[in-house]
Formats: sequence, structure tokens, C-alpha cells
Amino acid sequence: MDGELNQLKYTDIHNDVVRSIVETGPNYYIALITAFALTLICFFFPWFYQLYYGIGAAGMNHPGVWGTYLASFIFWIGLSHSGTLLSCVLHITNSSWRKAMYRSAEAMTLFSLVVAAIMVMVHVGRPWFIHWAAPYPNQMEMWPNFRSPLLFDVMAITTYLTGSTIFIYMGSIPDFAAVRDRTQGWRNTMYSLMSLGWRGTDTEWHRLHWAYTFLAVLIIPLAVSVHSIVSWDFAMSIVPALHQTIFAPYFVVGAIYSGTAGIVTVMFVLRKFMDFGQYITELHFDNLGKLLLVLSLLWTYINIVEVFTGFYSGASGEIEALNYRLFGFYAPLYWEMIAFCAIAPLLCAFKSFRTSFVPMLVLSIAINIGMYTERFLIVATSLSRQYLPDAWGLYVPSAVEISILLGTFALFTTLFLLFVKVFPSVSMYEVKETMESPKKSTPAASEGSPA
Amino acid sequence: MTSFVVGLFGDPESALAAAGSIQTANLGTPELMSPVPMEGVEEVLGEKKSVIKRFSLFGAIFGGVSGFLLAAITAVLYAHPTGGRPIITFPPYLIITYELTILFGIVFTVIGFFVSARLPNGLWTAWWKQDENRPYVPEAAVDKFAVSVSCASNENVQQAETILRTAGAEEVRDLTEEN
Amino acid sequence: MSFLDRITEGWRKNRKPGYYEEFDYHWAMTIDLDQCSGCGACVTACQAENNLPIVGEDAFTKGREIKWLRLEHYWEGEYPDVKLNVIPMMCQHCDSAPCETVCPVSATYHNQDGLNTQIYNRCIGTRSCAVYCPYEVRYFNYNDHAWESPLDQQLNPDVSVREKGVMEKCTFCIQRIRQGKDNAKDDGRRRVRDGEVQPACVQTCPSKAMVFGDRNDPKSQVSQSLNDPRAYKVLDELNTHSSVVYLKKVEAEG
Repeated sequence: MDGELNQLKYTDIHNDVVRSIVETGPNYYIALITAFALTLICFFFPWFYQLYYGIGAAGMNHPGVWGTYLASFIFWIGLSHSGTLLSCVLHITNSSWRKAMYRSAEAMTLFSLVVAAIMVMVHVGRPWFIHWAAPYPNQMEMWPNFRSPLLFDVMAITTYLTGSTIFIYMGSIPDFAAVRDRTQGWRNTMYSLMSLGWRGTDTEWHRLHWAYTFLAVLIIPLAVSVHSIVSWDFAMSIVPALHQTIFAPYFVVGAIYSGTAGIVTVMFVLRKFMDFGQYITELHFDNLGKLLLVLSLLWTYINIVEVFTGFYSGASGEIEALNYRLFGFYAPLYWEMIAFCAIAPLLCAFKSFRTSFVPMLVLSIAINIGMYTERFLIVATSLSRQYLPDAWGLYVPSAVEISILLGTFALFTTLFLLFVKVFPSVSMYEVKETMESPKKSTPAASEGSPA
Repeated sequence: MTSFVVGLFGDPESALAAAGSIQTANLGTPELMSPVPMEGVEEVLGEKKSVIKRFSLFGAIFGGVSGFLLAAITAVLYAHPTGGRPIITFPPYLIITYELTILFGIVFTVIGFFVSARLPNGLWTAWWKQDENRPYVPEAAVDKFAVSVSCASNENVQQAETILRTAGAEEVRDLTEEN
Repeated sequence: MSFLDRITEGWRKNRKPGYYEEFDYHWAMTIDLDQCSGCGACVTACQAENNLPIVGEDAFTKGREIKWLRLEHYWEGEYPDVKLNVIPMMCQHCDSAPCETVCPVSATYHNQDGLNTQIYNRCIGTRSCAVYCPYEVRYFNYNDHAWESPLDQQLNPDVSVREKGVMEKCTFCIQRIRQGKDNAKDDGRRRVRDGEVQPACVQTCPSKAMVFGDRNDPKSQVSQSLNDPRAYKVLDELNTHSSVVYLKKVEAEG
């Protein structure tokens, strides 16, 4: 681990994290109020207008029946794979560098899923009946159609949401206990309840370790299945550009890719605004940069496969759809996506790039813009060119859609800002584990007496 | 009336050594409290078994069976022919089975964790106070490693305190329940 | 009967492969492209019969018109040797419909007459059926519609008016089929006679290019039509097993 980290004591990380929760400056309130106001203005008010007027407020038409709402839904589910990868996969492989970041990454997962679930409600034509997609006994004796890929979606996302909530909560129990001792009043009550009376005994640690490992082992195949299932919303159709077996790996790789880029963004923000510069260091950005490079190469390979097999197949529908995607109306978007997601991340091959913070931030934002474009292109170009030429059309998003898209980012930011003040955003006990454990010391006055 | 003697140590090795000495002196099984999980606890205090894996397995099996039955039975109850597919089809229903396997596996693992770690502990309102059977020192959550022993009599208390001090405790506390 | 009995009976009834092919009537339609002049009377008749909304000029420019039956125009060649192929395209009522499996709330299913039905009040508007349909014959109500006077006097009381957020498509005028079956039952439990039930488009076609009937009945006109050597199905290679069959236009040689 970093030499820098080893010079810190347990009390330093403890104080830093507790301070980040308990002390709130005016900047935080300004940020929170701005984010909340933007959420209301950009997300909820246009959505209410759309509820009143109908989906016609968006730019969708015939045949472009799906648009940015679905692209946003898939984008946010993709971002949610960040926490899973970092938390679960790297936990199983015993990587120590994940320990400072994974709590915030898991929070990203949770809030991305919440935003994605809300996007479904924005997307459907009659959201006041959306509860019919849930299996519950009712007087009509009607059950949802379990043969539908959209139902797999419902099941998968419910499972993933439950699993992520449980996972982040379980991992935070010791930290809630630690914060509980340092707070008074309503905070004390809240953390006492949330920590369930955790004392840190050896039995409790042992059980936590096993439960946590089981959860990680269960959540990894779940995350792979969730995005595969989301891809099957498209791949189970028979229209040319959507009916491809490569979609499941394509979406999973794309999700992990965009999730990792999302982590880089969030880590930069945490470093800067929460003063965690000692815990989130160049080492983390270095490793994330290597991960981004590998994922970018994998993503590029899958895109090449898609284009190559499409043109090789000789199927007229497929070739038409590919030509349209590469050279048609949306061609600038396609090439922008290639530039941001396939070419720009090659800079991560250089260590000097990977360890500089602001360039990595810019790259991560560019990657996510490119990944959003990818989802949008899958929706828009496939629906524009299907089998019957008479039914070809063009879809352009409307102002309401773009506003709602920006509103989702504001909503996510609001939720994340609230998270930062309630949960310890850096996992105290895991970072302490990565530090050197205290050695036998000379009898000195003990530090860290309760406040 | 049980009293708890707690010794606070600055590093995990001394705490483990003290716990070992307490166990060999037949004063009962000590409890170790620490801010991070400690290595080598099982060598000193004996192997730990947990029942969590049984909960996970039960949950997974329960989820798998109930997932398939949910999809199959609801399809048969109100038969809706769609797309020429059979009423009970395996590819989609296996996916539902898979998801619910994982969901119930997760839920039952958490229940198993709560049951085997005996959380939440204490009374609803007294979680942060000293519970009669659950001693707690706040320093153990920050950077100290605590060894606590429950002693039934005063000699035991004296003996425990001696052992802890010789092992190098920075502080020894006697936590007796308040009347 | 008890819950378990319901399950076992449902399972026994539906477990045979091909259970769904035991249709009561198996409605089919043939369209003779040689006879079709592209006049569009069928489109107008469909609009009148099924309370299709007039979406307005704004929505039309955005591409949101609702035409359950549309005429597809395919031009070949340069002036003056231009050839036009007109294909009336409506819901093909596929026996292996890709749209039916994907509806999460089962708002579309294959009924006992072999029709692909849309249940308006169950639809929550996910629009995935429209994505999955390769013929693109499903239309979505992007907003509530108004029938300005005097169009409101022309509304068909047998057909519902769909609210915003609901998918709709050609139903083979199921209200007429229903009425026909009711009449047959009132007359003493006979079968519906061939030609007694016709959708609005078939009834209106001036060149009698469209034939509609029950293909379970080997003596019906549509069954003869289906055996025509010119018969083909659009996008047959996708194995949708559609119920609408087109008779290829006869091209003059030389």
C-alpha cells in the first residue's frame, strides 16, 4: 500500500470520516439545494407535463416508438454495475486498493438503480398501471406474462435493487457503530438503530465476513444476468439490428465499462469536495485507468464483431441497418461514440495519464457521454430502419426528453449528496485494515477517547 | 451479579496473547472487540462455525423452486397463448427461477447473519447503553483492541485484571452493571 | 374446484404442443395485388369503422398518424418507365406473433379464433410490441384525441375509443366477427357462413381484391384463395406464420 497511508493512524481515518458526516459547511447546502431544484425543474415538472399531455410530449413517433427514456434506463442500469464490479469482484480476488472506494461505488449502484426504475415509469404510456407488471394476487386473477423479456427485467432489477441495498447496508454496519459513538441527539438515535448494537466482537466480525462473502458471490452472477436480461429486451425481437446474440456480452461489458468511468468521476468529486485526498490516491486512479483500458479494448472488439458479422452475413436488413448506423443521419453520433469510447481511452496506456486526476476526470465523462450515445444509437437507428422500407422513419428527441435526461443526473446527484451525509462514504474499517496494524507501543496516553 | 473486566490494548498481538492467557487460566471465554477484523483469532480461541451457509442454501433452493412455480402456476391459472409458445416454457421460466434463486439466497443469508451474530442486540432503546450481557467500550471502534471477560466473583476479577495488566493492557476497566 | 385442481386441469389442457392451433374459426385474408388499384378506400373504411383518431397536422408531421391499414408504395424505375407496387399492410395476425410474447402484462394474446387481439384496458404502454413487430403495424396513442364536429357523429358505437398511452392495431374488425357469431348463435347454433362477416376494408374494396374468411372451412372462398400459385406471405422467412396472404401481381413480359 501507499507509504503515505501507512503514516496515518486509525484515529486519523476515523476522525476524517466522522467529520465528513457531522460537519457540514455552507457549500454543501448550496450544492444540495441546487441539485434538488434542478431535479424539480428538469425532471419532475417536465414529467408531470408529460403525464398530463401523453407521451406525445416526447419526440417519439411511428416507428421510433422507443427513445431517450429507454436509452437512459439502460445507461443508468449500466452505471449501476460499477459498485458490483468494484465491491464484489475485487473482494473475491482480495484486492486491497478497492477498500477506500467501494462504499461510494456501491452507493452509485444503488442510486443508479433507483433512477433507472423511475425512468421506466417515465417511459411507459400509462404509468399509473405499472403495478400490473408485478406479480401480486388481484381480483382480476391476472398475472404478468412471465414469458416476456420485460418481465425478466422486472424480476432482475428488483433482485438487484434488493441485493445492492442489503449489500451496502451490511458492509456499513461496523461504520455506523463507529459513528454512533461520536454523535449526539437525533444522529445518535439514527445510527444506533442502523448499527443494530454492533460491538465489534470476534464472533460478529467472523459472521460478517462470511455473510459478506456469500453476498458478494451471489451478487456477481446477478449483475451479469441483470444487464444480459436488459439486453434481451432488444435481442429477443426479430428486427434486423436488434436481433443479435452479441447483445448480452455487449451490454455487460458496456455496463462495467461505463460504471468504472462513473467511479472515476465520483472519486474525483469525493477527493476534491470531501477532503479524502489521503485515502483516494493516485494508486486508485492508476488501477482504475488500467481497468478502463482493458474494458475499452474489449468494447472495441465487440463493436468490431458486430460490424464485421453484420456485413459478412449478406442479410439485406442487417446491412441496411449497419449502413444507416455508420453513414446515415446519426453518423456523427456514431463516430463521436467511437472517438470517445474506443480511441480516447487508449491514452490510459500511459501511466502519466492514468495518475493525473483532471485528465482522468475528463476522460471518464467523455466515456460516459460516448456510452450514452451508444445506447441511444441502438434504440434510434434500429427502429429507424426495419424490414419494410415504407415504414422507415426518423426520431429526434424533444426538449422534454433532453430536460428529463439532464434531470436524471440532478436526481442522482441529490441522492448521492444525501448519502454522503448519512453513510460514511469511505469504509473506515476496511481502510484501517489496509493500513499497518498498530505495533506494540510504549505506554503513552491513549488517544481517541470518546468525545 | 456478573461483572465484566475489559482490558484495552494498543495492538492486536498483545490482545490475542492476553485472550489466550485468560482462556488457559480457565476464567471463561473472552470476547475480543476490535475496530477491524483480527487475524489469528481462531488459533487462540478455537474454530468458529457459522450456520449462515445453511441459511444461504435453504434460501437459494427455496427461491429456485418458488421462482419456477410462480411462473408456471400463474401461466396455467390464466392461460394466455402468446406467440405460439407453450404455456409452460423453459427458457423464460428458467430465467425467473435464476433471479428468484439469487434474491432469496441473498435475503436468507442476511437473516442467517442476524440470527448467528445475534443482532440486533439489547433492548430497543438501550442499544447504545451498556447491556447487561453485552459489554462495550467505544474505544474499541476507533483504534483499540479490547478483551473482555465476564467474571462471577471478585477473585476472578482480580485474577483477570492481573493477567490483562501483565499482557500489556493500556487500561483495564471494570464494568459492573448499574443497579 | 380446489386450487390444486385448477392447476392440474390447466396444465393438462395446455400441455400438448400445438394446443393453441385448435382454433374455433381460423380467420385469414388474401389480398390480390393484381386487382388492388391503390385507391385507398380500404384505409378510409378502416378509419370510419374503428374510430381511428385524426391526429392533427402537427402530430402528422411528427410521424404519429394512426392508420391500422396503410398502403405501402414501392416505386421502381425512372420516368417514363416507372412501376408502382402498392401493398396494403395491416396486422398480419401471425400465429407465431413476436409481439405477443413481449407484452409484460399480457395485453396482447392469440385468441381462440386465431386473431392477435389487443386488450386496450390492460395495456400500460411499454411499446415493446411495436418494436418487436417486423411489419410495424402497431400504432401508439401519443396523446388524447378529439373528433371535431361533425366527425364525432360518425363514431362507431361498437368500438371503444382508446385513451392516450395505449397501443392499437388492426383487429380484423373483431366487433363484426363478434356480431356475426352472435347472429349465428341466435339463428340456432349454426356456424358463421362464408362471406357473412367481412371487415370494413374487405367490404369496401371496389375491385374485390380482398377476401376474408375462415380457413378451417375448406369450402370457403379464402381457402381456395390461399392455394393460389401466386400466394405469398410478407416476410415469410421470419416464420411468423401470418394469416394475411398476398397474391403476387402479374407482370407483363416484354
